[in-house]
Amino acid sequence: MEQIMLAFVTGLTTGGLSCLAVQGGLLTTALAPPVPQSAPAKRKRRKRGKSAVPPPDDAPQAVPILLFLAAKLVAYTLLGLLLGALGAMLQLTALTRALLLIAIGVFMIGNGLRMLDMHPIFRYFAFEPPAFARRYLRKAGKRGADALTPLILGALTVLIPCGVTQAMMALALGTGHALQAAGLMAAFTLGSSVVFFIVVYLATRMGALLEKNFARAVAVVLLVLGLVSVDSGLNLMGSPVSLARWTQTMSSSASLETPALTDAASEAEENDLYITVLNTSYVPATLRARANVPSRLTFVTDNVFSCALALVIPELRIEEMLPVTGEVTFEIPPQPPGKVLRYSCSMGMYVGEVVFD
Amino acid sequence: MKQTFRVPDMHCPACVMHLEGLEDTLPGIRRVAASYRKQRLEVEYDTAQVSEAQIVAAAEALGYKLASDGERQT
Repeated sequence: MEQIMLAFVTGLTTGGLSCLAVQGGLLTTALAPPVPQSAPAKRKRRKRGKSAVPPPDDAPQAVPILLFLAAKLVAYTLLGLLLGALGAMLQLTALTRALLLIAIGVFMIGNGLRMLDMHPIFRYFAFEPPAFARRYLRKAGKRGADALTPLILGALTVLIPCGVTQAMMALALGTGHALQAAGLMAAFTLGSSVVFFIVVYLATRMGALLEKNFARAVAVVLLVLGLVSVDSGLNLMGSPVSLARWTQTMSSSASLETPALTDAASEAEENDLYITVLNTSYVPATLRARANVPSRLTFVTDNVFSCALALVIPELRIEEMLPVTGEVTFEIPPQPPGKVLRYSCSMGMYVGEVVFD
Repeated sequence: MKQTFRVPDMHCPACVMHLEGLEDTLPGIRRVAASYRKQRLEVEYDTAQVSEAQIVAAAEALGYKLASDGERQT
């Protein structure tokens, strides 16, 4: 759900403007009046009103814009469905998902650096539609403003995704779940459609202007999203080096880390460890346990509805969906001193660790 | 005539489509192929109907400055 909301907000902000820059021209071409007006008719109209506000028949019409956006929404939702199904077919393990997240992150960072024009090499991160698709889209856009044209063009925008959309498509593939991926793409497209509609309906030229001025902001957002994606991938791999684990280490020493083992616990023949799963974290984030004795690691949930439920302990090859409310216990064999057992949610967003000493 | 221009102003793949639209707006243009990655524009045109200056002016109207990179084939 969080991911869907994030996709919607991304569409509503950076995605909308980015898509508008790439696809706006198509829509405005489709909205052009199909039959040129005769000169006398134009003269008559000028005489009637002296207002600077353009007459209604010259302004973009709401219906074709809505048709265009509806077709676009359907097309991208179906694309999400296909990408998710493809991800599921590939049977992504935690490791492949982690690698995919890192690849997605690198792709986003590359696109961000491209938009900031850091080096010509980053242009290779951009998707250029093939020449035949560009030609077809151009011709289709010139057909006129019948009801079918905006529908066709809206659907054909899948051929010219903007940089942010491409990043979202990669994320959809990474979900490995058809419906989730479809929801992700639908939320993103819906968010971008709001911006699309407002800008095209109010002023068609505003989009290009905004895109030019906000290109740097879009690039920065892509860089941040890319770094988050790489970080999530690293967490999911159980890497000791990640931003989330670093911030956790910085904060856990103050409040989330368990106290030193008591004498009674030190003498016990096995570790009995409890971790409380919250919607946005695992508590305590760092848990200390005795080395060289078996452990019982219990995850306790109470009305949790986030991806924290999808638990991954890479080293033990554990991938478990925890109940919304309840307890799940894992038997862990004795671990050597100094060993750190890292775990995270399946998206690599929330992390925790057990330190054996 | 086939001529290649450098287009340093191309800042995204959408510019490719904008520039290739010259094919529909100028007379005598046989083919336009743009590349964002190479920042190049290749134009095939009939010199009897359209001149290099007209092509440069049309691109400039779209917001792109063209610089000839000296590659010409007749």
